Parts: sequence; structure tokens; C-alpha cells
Amino acid sequence: MTKRFDLLFVYAVFFVLFLYGPMLLMPLFSLNDGNFATFPLKGFTLRHYGEMAANTSMMTALKNSLIVGICVSITSTALALPAALALTRYRVPGGGAILSFMMLPLVVPSIVLAVGLLVVILRILGLPLSLWTVAAGHLMLCIPFGMTVLMSRLEGFDKSLEEASRDLGAGGWSTFRRVTLPLAAPGVISSLLLCFIISFDEFVISFFLTGTDSTLPVFLFSQLRFPNKLPGTLALGSLILVGSAVLVILAEIVRKRGVASDNPGDL
Amino acid sequence: MQRVKFIDRMAQGKLSRREMLQSAGAFGVGLMALPRVARAQGGPLTCLEWGGYDAEEYVGSYVSKHGALPDFSIFSGEEEALAKVRAGFAADVMHPCNYSVSRFVNAGLVTEIDTSKLSNWADVFPTLQTAEGVMLDGKVVMAPADWGNSSIAYRSDLIDPAFAEDPSWAIFYDEAYAGKVSMLDNELVIQIGAMVGGMPYEEAYNLTGDALAAAAKDWGAKGVNVSRFLWTDASEVQQAMASGEIIAAYAWNDLVKNLKAEGIPVEYASPKEGMFTWFCGLTLLNSGKADPALAYDFIDAWLSPETGKYLIESSGYGHANQKSFEIADPAEVAAMGISDPVAMMASAKLFLTPTDEVQVEQNRVWGDTKALKM
Amino acid sequence: MSAGSARTGLSLLSPAFLVMAATLLAPVVALVVMSFWTQSGFEIDRTFTLDNYARLGEPGEGVVWYGIRFPFAYPVPAVLMVKSLAMSLMATICVIGVAWPMAYFLAFRVTRYKAMWIILLTIPFWTSYLLRVFSWKIVLGFNGAINSGLQWLGLIREPLEFLLYNPIAVMITLAHSWIAFSVLPIYVSLEKIDRSLLEAASDLGDSKWARFRRITLPLSMPGTIAATLLIFIPTVGDYVTPTLVGGPGGTMVGSLVQQLFLKQNDAPMGAAISIVMMLIIAALVGLFLWAIGYGRMRKRIG
Repeated sequence: MTKRFDLLFVYAVFFVLFLYGPMLLMPLFSLNDGNFATFPLKGFTLRHYGEMAANTSMMTALKNSLIVGICVSITSTALALPAALALTRYRVPGGGAILSFMMLPLVVPSIVLAVGLLVVILRILGLPLSLWTVAAGHLMLCIPFGMTVLMSRLEGFDKSLEEASRDLGAGGWSTFRRVTLPLAAPGVISSLLLCFIISFDEFVISFFLTGTDSTLPVFLFSQLRFPNKLPGTLALGSLILVGSAVLVILAEIVRKRGVASDNPGDL
Repeated sequence: MQRVKFIDRMAQGKLSRREMLQSAGAFGVGLMALPRVARAQGGPLTCLEWGGYDAEEYVGSYVSKHGALPDFSIFSGEEEALAKVRAGFAADVMHPCNYSVSRFVNAGLVTEIDTSKLSNWADVFPTLQTAEGVMLDGKVVMAPADWGNSSIAYRSDLIDPAFAEDPSWAIFYDEAYAGKVSMLDNELVIQIGAMVGGMPYEEAYNLTGDALAAAAKDWGAKGVNVSRFLWTDASEVQQAMASGEIIAAYAWNDLVKNLKAEGIPVEYASPKEGMFTWFCGLTLLNSGKADPALAYDFIDAWLSPETGKYLIESSGYGHANQKSFEIADPAEVAAMGISDPVAMMASAKLFLTPTDEVQVEQNRVWGDTKALKM
Repeated sequence: MSAGSARTGLSLLSPAFLVMAATLLAPVVALVVMSFWTQSGFEIDRTFTLDNYARLGEPGEGVVWYGIRFPFAYPVPAVLMVKSLAMSLMATICVIGVAWPMAYFLAFRVTRYKAMWIILLTIPFWTSYLLRVFSWKIVLGFNGAINSGLQWLGLIREPLEFLLYNPIAVMITLAHSWIAFSVLPIYVSLEKIDRSLLEAASDLGDSKWARFRRITLPLSMPGTIAATLLIFIPTVGDYVTPTLVGGPGGTMVGSLVQQLFLKQNDAPMGAAISIVMMLIIAALVGLFLWAIGYGRMRKRIG
């Protein structure tokens, strides 16, 4: 990378400040010796982290959300990728109508989706509510996002590469694995990340579809009634923020060992 | 009243499940006419509970008797919980409040409580034993558990001393306080406004039709404009009060207790129009799959004085069992702004609940008032 | 293309489609059907009627809201619809405007640790939505970060009160919450631009600006459009952010629908408003795609 300290670089710095600045108040107040997040700061304490660790319902909710989020982001991306391929590479009869239908979760109010799904699950299928039902609801919500991102990646790509691969005798699967997948890679990663965020943060559908295992947003919303528990949730937020950032940076450093790549598509 | 008929028939067992489901009128395309999943008797006890109340301290005697906590499904708003139960979610016990319990009853989801099965019932404040909401049409539908006051909390260091001398709900409708106070996001803004205008509460709670529209125009709009924000959760209002963003708010006792514990100068007013008392409790749902004896054990555990002591000392809410105030730390009771709980409860102005139609109408008028705010 | 290709396409599409159909069909059908019913109390009257829609369009005295006259007997849904659309539109423009240069930076400037950069952009969103909104309240609040900072610097004496609980706070918070949903789609489509095209253009003597306008911008369109839609459509119905940071005027059409379904015992009216909202959004999206010539563009770059 050529280091250029031009306007764009300055912009990127401000952007990261905008993104992370407010978030950094979370760790700040999680270490503040007070139950309310107001300036001036009162003093250093680790007690909120103790409260957090002692709050088993919160830790269980976090675990549930992680499991659901990871499963949903992988499944919805795995379903969205072939669908996006179909709609960008093949002439599917009625493709436009199918696409519009699949985008409906973006516009239908979530309370309608949630109650509707709940009625189907309880009264028609007769299934008990569990993390599986939450995951099903999230899947419905995530697929449109995954497809939109993947389609914008696949659209307009030179088809000649895939055709060449086929001409050289590679089968459909082999072409997909060697040519299409690497081309789609940035889209796949973006889709995984976006789907995870959606699932991890979704409240309305999660609330209606959870049985006795709650997810993190359901848990956090219910804590609002008890202001004394707030600093404990800030501690949790800080841990997630700092922990995952450190983890990601370490992983990337270990993986790449600083090898620069000239291929812009290379992740 | 429709619910009289309904409860009677429900109590006499005349209401078939099918009728019940139809009246429940759950969401969906005739879906609710389908039979429910066969009810497996003897399942685990499932409690629809506020997040934060799903802890051992609130049901100690249940845990010591049965060895473990029941299954909790947590919620953060009664209306969402009601929709979930109506759609078919099966739970044995639910924790509504006096203003919402009738909606559960009217939706045909509740069974009567046999108070003779509750060993702690006799120690419940007499006012609460017969309060509207605990009893509906002569039947006990909710065992009161936690209660509190609704009044004005103010920052004694920041407010005009004239207010502290003669506190009044008028502060929430006074342009001079615009952007410095916060009301609850509720149709109470209209009702309390009418009271400031001189109407007694017994009339104001039941406003309807043209009188309601007039009160919304006179007081509702003013209330919306004067409040910095209309609060929906306790964290929000306590945080804003702690920072000095607002100097007075509609508040429960826990705000006063929590802020005082942080050394913030805050007082609980006794407004001349009166302060209110709310309460929440436990209701038996008819969709439960567990042995009802378990549900009674759970409710009885909630009513115990030990639970009350913990509730008072940890969260700043009152408890329905009089004895809990005897064993709780007096300093903690005082911090809630309560000096004599028995006398206070005997003279309390309990919130009244209008009929469903009036509630819905008031809610609509309140929603419209907020929507048309400039 | 051949029939075989259509069959392959369908078989690729069908797993996702079947999942969507299984989860989405019943709620959507229920919504449509319900909008033709009526409700009183907890009882739903299942006779077909157009009353709900008629009530939405019924002319009446109406109200004047910010200088716009809404001549309806029940003007609230129309007012909230306009308010929500305006809010959502402005938020979308802000988000895309803020995100585009960052996506460009990611695609063309970052060559090392690219995956790390992308993941770091999304990490703030791994904390809960509520905590993020809470953080913004601390930043913008009365004794919050901005006010305390300015006071400490001696620039102001009294805290500024206009920072929180108004449409600007809603806009900032919305922009922040949706930023990942716009950077990533724009990035993935910018990133696929063949560098040789850009080089060829410079070789042919195109200026930087001409190169940008003729190659980069058009080729980024699929992602930019995807991001626009992914933000605009869901934010019209969003009501949590406006309630939390918008102050008393934070009611949106989404909150009305939710109220009608829950507290106001009028799910059919809620359904009718949802459907009208969906149709308006669909029409606006169609108009937008037509205006920017999306169909032609797809053919040209496809």
C-alpha cells in the first residue's frame, strides 16, 4: 500500500472516529464507580465486571445469541449465494416476481412477521418454541440482506471466466469452487457479517419466538426496568467490543504475517 | 360488561376450549380455530416473567421445595406478552400489572385464583386484597406482589423552591418547564392534565368521547410539548435525572432510592392533586401445562415476607406482604419515600382501570396526540 | 439462454425460495386477508369489507402539519407516513453520502489486512443496539461527552440542549446504526472493478475526474443501489430509534402499526396501514430504479 495522506485518508480516520468514538464511552463508564453514566467520572472500579460475570441469565443469553447468530449467518449466506447466482447468471422464469417476494421481509412490519410466524409454529406445526424457532425467524430476515449484497457483487462480472472454465472441461461444481466462489468472496464475507449483525441485534421476532431460552436483545430490553443493572450490561458491551477487536487483529496478523498482496480482490 | 359474562362462564367451566380460542381472536387467518397442541399434563412450570425477576431471591421457598427454579420466559412489555399468549404460547403464570390484567382476563386467558391455597395471602395488605385488578367482578384473578407509588421526583438542587413548597402535577403542563421535565409515555398525561384542571381522578380516569378529545387538546398536547421526552423505561428517566437533563419527572419509588444511593439530591413530592399507587402481581393462565400446585407454590413464594424484604432492599419497590416491611431495613424503606406503609396503603389512591373500550379509545387519542406533535 | 440453463437457475434458487415461502407466506397472506376484516374488542369480524381502506382515504376536516394540509377524517396515518418517509429518505442520503468515500477507500487504498478492516467496521455492531443508542445518548446528552468537552474547553457555559431528542439526533443515530449496511455493499461492487480498465482510461488521457465519472461511478451502481434500498426500505418502518432519541415527536408510522396491533385492539387497521405503506414504498423504489435507468444499466454492465 502506498501511504498517501490525502483527503481520503483523513476522511477514513474521521469515519473510524465516528464509528468507534461513541462506542468507547461504553468501556469508560463500565469502569466508572457509579450506577449512572454521567460526567464527571467518579472513580475506577471493576465491580461492574463482577456483576456481569455473576449474572448467569445474561451470560446464557449471550451464548444463545452467539450460537443463533453464527448458525443463521452461515445458513442464510449458504442459501443466498446460489439464489443470487441464479438471479444474476441464469434467466429464471418469473425471476423478478420471485425476487420481489423474497425481499418482502424488508418492508413488512416485524410485528406482523413475528406474530404470524408464531401462530404458524404453535398452532399449525405444534412445535415448542426454542432457539430453533428464533433461528428460523432470523433466517427469513437475513436471506434478503444476504441476497442483495451477493447480487450486487455478482452483477456485472465478466461471465467469460466461468465460461472459459467450463470450456476447459471443468464441471459445474469445480467451476463454482475454483472460479465463482473466489470471485464472490468479498460478497460472501460481507453477507456473513451483515447476517450475523442482524441476528445478533434483532428484538421483535426474537421476543415472540423465544421460549424459555432468551437471546441477548430480549434479555437487555427486559433489563431496562432495573436501572441498577445497566452498568453490568455496559461491561458486557465493552468486553464484546474490545475482545472481538483484539481477536480479529491478532488473527489477521497471525494469518498474514504482514505479507502484502497486490491483488485487490484478495481477502 | 362483556367480561362479567365471560368470567362467569369461564368459572363455571361452561366455556369450551373452542369458544375460548375464538374469543381470544388470535392473530391469523382462521388459524386460531385450529385445535391447540394437545396439552401434556405434568410439564415443567413455565412463568412469563419480567426480565430481572427471573431470580432465585424472588421465589426462595419454591426453590427450596422443588430444588430448582421454574422455566422462565422473559418479557419487557405486557402488551407484547399478551400478544404472545394470545397467539398460543403456553405458560402457567404471568406477571401483569393492575392496568393490564383486565386485558388478559378479557382475552379469556386467565383462571381464577383460589386464595385458600396461598399461605401468605392473609398477610397481604387488605387494600390490595380487594383492589380492582386483584379482583375483577368478585373473583380473584391476580395475587398482588410488587407495588409502588407514582408521583413527581425532582432535583432539589435545581428546581424552583416555589415548586418544592407546593408541589403540583401542573409542572408537566407549564411552559416555564418546557424541556426540563419528563412524563411517562402513557394516556395518564391526559388524565392527570384533566386533574390539574380541577377534575377529580374518579372522573378523569374514565374520560371518553368529546370530553376526552377536549382534555387531549387542552392538556395532552401541552404535556407532549413540555416534556423533554416521554419515558418508556426506568433506566432512561433515571439516567436523565441523574445527569440533570431533566429536573422533575413522573417517577416510581425506585428512582428516588437509586439516585439517593448515588448521592444525587432528589426528593419525592406529594403533589396536591394526589400521588398514585400501582401494583403488579401474578396471574394463573389457562394455557399452562404444569400441575397447578406448582403454580400455587410459585405464587406463594412470591408473596412471602423474605421475598418482600429482598424486593424492597434491592429494587426499591414495595411488596404486597405487610410483614415484609417489618423485617426490611427501615432505612431502605425510608429511602423509597415511605414512612408508614400500612397507613400509606390504607389511604392510597390506587390506579383505576376503565373498561377495555375506554382504555383503547384513550390509548388511540393519546397516540394521535403524540403523532400530531409539531 | 437454453431451457437447461433456466432449470439450473431454478434449482439454484429453490432452496432459498422454499425457506422464504415457508416462513413468509403465512404472515403475508394473513396480513392481506386481515386488512379486509374488522375488529372490536378482542373479537375479529371476518366479513369482507373495504372499510379500513375507505377510512384511510375518507376526506374530512383534517389537520395542518408543518404547513402541509392533510384533508382526511383520520389524518394520523397520512401524517406519520409522510414524516417517516422524509426521515428515512434523509437518513438514507446521509448514510450513503458518509459511506461511499469509506467504501472507496477500502476498495482502492487498503491492500493489506483487508479482511481485518472490513471486520473492524462491523465490530461496533456486535454490541447490542440498545447499548449503541445508549452510547449516543451519553455523547449527545445534557452532561454528555460533547457538552462536557465544550464546557471544559470553556467554549460554552451552559450545556447545549438541542443536541438530543430531536430529528438531528435521530438522523445521527440512524446513520450510525446503518453504516455497515451501506459500506459493505458499495465496497463489494467497487472492489470488483477491473484495475486495467482504470489504467486504460488514464492511458487514453482521461483525467482523474473523468475516469471516476465514466468508470468507477457507473460500475459501483449495483452496490450503491443495493445499499440505498437496504437502508431506505427498513428505516421507513423503524420506530425504535426515533422513540429512543427523538423526544416526544418521535412517533413514526411503524409505532402506529405496532400500537394498532397491540394496545389499540385494531389489528385489521394496522394491517391496512402496513399494506398501504408497503405499496407506497414499492412505488417509490420502482420510481427510483426507473429514474436512474436501472434496467438499462443492468443490461449494459451485465
